[in-house]
Amino acid sequence: MNKISTRQLCFFLAAIAPVGKIILMPANLVHYAKNDLLFPAAMNFILQAAIVFLVLLLAKNNRSLFELIADKLGKVTARIVLTVFSLFFFFAALLPLVEQKIFVQSVFYDTLPSIVAFSSFFIFSAYLCAKPLSSFGRMWDVLAPLAIAAFIGIIMLSVGAADFGALAPALQSGAKNVFQGFAYNMSWFFDSAILLSFLGKIDYKKGLPWKGLLSYLAGAAAVLLFLAVFYGVFEDISVSQQFAFTKTTRYFSGIETVGRIDYLFIYSLSLVMAFYAILPLQAGIELLRQSYGSREKRLLPALLSIAVNAVMLALTILLDYRYSSLNQAVCVNLFWIFPIFALLLPALMLLFKIRRRRETE
Amino acid sequence: MKQNKFNKFLKSIPAKLWLVLGIVIAFYFFLNDFGLVDIQKTAIILAAGIDRKGDEGYTLTAQIAVPKGVDRTTGGTSSVNFIAEGETIADCVSDIYCKTGWVPKFVFCNLIVLGEETAAENVFDAFDFFLRNEYMSDGCYVAVCEGTAQDLLTSESAVANTSSQAISKLFSDTNIKSGKAVKMSLREFAIGYHGATKSGYMPYIRQHVQEGSGGENGGGQSGGGGQQKEQKTYCAERTALFYEGKQVALLNPEETFAFNLIEGKIFNGYLLAEENGHSVSLTVLDDKGGVSLSTKGAPKVTVKVELTVRLFNRTVPVEIEDVAHAELSEELLGNAKKNVEETVKQVFEISRQSGCDLFKLNESLFRSSKSKYEEWKDTLLSAVPATYEISIKSAK
Repeated sequence: MNKISTRQLCFFLAAIAPVGKIILMPANLVHYAKNDLLFPAAMNFILQAAIVFLVLLLAKNNRSLFELIADKLGKVTARIVLTVFSLFFFFAALLPLVEQKIFVQSVFYDTLPSIVAFSSFFIFSAYLCAKPLSSFGRMWDVLAPLAIAAFIGIIMLSVGAADFGALAPALQSGAKNVFQGFAYNMSWFFDSAILLSFLGKIDYKKGLPWKGLLSYLAGAAAVLLFLAVFYGVFEDISVSQQFAFTKTTRYFSGIETVGRIDYLFIYSLSLVMAFYAILPLQAGIELLRQSYGSREKRLLPALLSIAVNAVMLALTILLDYRYSSLNQAVCVNLFWIFPIFALLLPALMLLFKIRRRRETE
Repeated sequence: MKQNKFNKFLKSIPAKLWLVLGIVIAFYFFLNDFGLVDIQKTAIILAAGIDRKGDEGYTLTAQIAVPKGVDRTTGGTSSVNFIAEGETIADCVSDIYCKTGWVPKFVFCNLIVLGEETAAENVFDAFDFFLRNEYMSDGCYVAVCEGTAQDLLTSESAVANTSSQAISKLFSDTNIKSGKAVKMSLREFAIGYHGATKSGYMPYIRQHVQEGSGGENGGGQSGGGGQQKEQKTYCAERTALFYEGKQVALLNPEETFAFNLIEGKIFNGYLLAEENGHSVSLTVLDDKGGVSLSTKGAPKVTVKVELTVRLFNRTVPVEIEDVAHAELSEELLGNAKKNVEETVKQVFEISRQSGCDLFKLNESLFRSSKSKYEEWKDTLLSAVPATYEISIKSAK
C-alpha cells in the first residue's frame, strides 16, 4: 500500500496547510485585533504546532484512528467517535469552500458571474474525495514546490509597498481584542485534526514528529510574514481587503510596465488552494470509510463522495450572498467547536499508548 | 461479486472521468466566451470624473474606450465621454447601462478626477463606490481639478488620444522624480483618511489651451462629433491638501517642489537660484529629505533637506572652462539654500494652518506611543516647534 512519506508530510505541513489562511483570514484578524493581527495568528499556530507534534507521535503506532480507538474502547465507540469527527470535518469544510467560491467569483471574473459558475468545482472535488488519502502524498509532491514558488513571488512583489511601521504600537488594541482575534479565527486552524485522518497511512521514520513540527512552524512563519506584509500594504484599510493574497501584489511598480505578472503566482496558489479546500471533505469521507467500509472496497467512499459533494454544492448555492452570516455562525457563534476537535480531542488521543507496531504485510 | 465489478469499473474510470471533466470545463469556458471582454457589449471605463450637483447627487463623467480605427494608421484607442447623473455614484453607473446598453467595467479605470466643488466637501462619499468595488483596483490615481471634472475629461488632449491618457502621463515616475508633481492612489489616500492623520493630498490638475490649436481636428475623440475643438495640455504642478476628506489648502508649484524635496523623492529635478542677479538652474542629483518627530520631553519636529546639486544651465555667456568644469559659488549655493528653506517653511506652515498633517506627525506619534498620541493628538500639528536643517552641496 502507498504510504505518505516524511517528505510528503513535511510538504503538506509547510506549504499546503498555510495556503488556506491567506484568503479571508487576514481581514478577519484585522477586524478583531487591528494592527496586532500577528499575535492571535501566532497563538493559533503555536497551539496547532504542539498538537501536530503529538499526532505525529501517534503515527508511530502505524494504526489508523479507528484501530487506535477500537483497540481501547471497542468498535462501536470508535464508530461513534469517527462519525462525529467526520461531521466536524464536513462542518469545517463549509467555510473554506464558500471562501473558495466567493474568491473565484471576485478575482477570476470582472463582473459577478452566475451562481452555477463555481459548480464544476464539485465535480473535481467528488473525483478527488473518492481517491484514497494516501494518493494525496503524490499530489503534495507536485503542489508544494508550486505553492512555495508562488508564495515567494507574491511576497517579492508585495514587500516593496509595505510599511512595516504600521504594525506599531504592539498590543495597542488590547488583550480582549487580541483574544477575540485568536478565538474567532480558530475556524482556519484544524490541520492537526486533518492529520488524525492520515494515521495508519504515514510511513513513520525516526524524527518524523520533529520534522513535522519544524515544517509546520516554517509554514506558520511564512503566513505571519504575509500577514505583516498585508498590514504594511493596507494599514488602516486592511479590514476591507478580502482575498488578501490577490491584493498585495498590485502595487509593484513593474506591473505598470509589464502587466499583471502577479497573476502567474496568484493562479498557481489558487490551484493549490483548490486541493486544500477539498481536504477536510476527504478527511471526513476517509474516517467514515474506516468506520463502515474497508480498504479494498471503494464503493462506499465513491458514494459518500458524490453525496457529500452534492450537499456541499447545495449549501454553497443556498449560502450564496450570505457569507457574512456564515462567517458569524462558524467563526463567532460556533468557534468553540474548533478547539474541541482540533486541539482537545487530538491531545486526548495521546492516552493511547505510543508504540511502534510492525507491519504485518 | 458486485464489489469486484465495481472495483473493475473504478479502474477504468480515470480516463473516462478526465474526459467528462474536460467536456464540462470546456462547456463552462464557452459559456463565458473564454472570459473575453466583448467591446460591443461592454463599456471599458478608462477614467471617471465626479462633480457634485449641490445636494442632489453627482454627475459622473465616464471616459469609455472605443476602437479608433481598423488599420495600422488609424488604429488605437479613442474614447467617448458619457455623462450620467444620479443620487449616488452607483446610480450614475446604472444610468450608463440604462442609456447605452453597455455594461460598465471599472477593471481598467486608472484615474478618478474630482471637480473643485466635489473636493470642497468630504470626498469619501464619492470614493465609497470605488472602495467597495471588488472589480476595480484601488491602485488607480486620484486627482482634483480646476473647474469641473466633466470639463477636464471631455477636453481634447494635444498630446494623447484621450484626456485621461494625457493626465496619467503626468504621473510617470520620471515626472514625479523631477519634483514637478505628486501622485496619489486611491489606496494611499484612503489609508491617510482612515489613519491617525486623517489627512492626505492629491495632484491638482489644470488645463491650458495649446497654442495654435482650435483650427485642427485632432481626431482623437469622437466626443467632438467632427466639430473643431481647442486642444489642451494639462499640468499637475499644484497639490491639493485634504483634512478629514475635504480640500483645505493648495500648494503652488514651488511649494509642491519643496514638499517633494522634504519627501526625499527628487532625482534629476531642477532647482532655480540666482548668482550675480542672473538665474541659474541646478540639477538635484541626490535628495535626502525627511521629517522626524522627537517625543522625548515636549515633542519637537526636525525638517531635513540635504541636497547634492550640479550646475545645469546659466543664463549668461561663460568661458568654455566653466562649461567643462563648473564650480558652484558660495553665493549660488547660499541663494539656493535660502530659497529652499523659505519654501520648506511655507509648506510646513500651510500644513500647520490648514490642519492637513502632510508629514504624518500624528502617525509617527501614534506608532511611537499610543498614550502620548492620546495626549497630544489635538494640538500636535498646531503647536509643535519645528527646526529646519537645510544643506545644499555641490557634486564634486
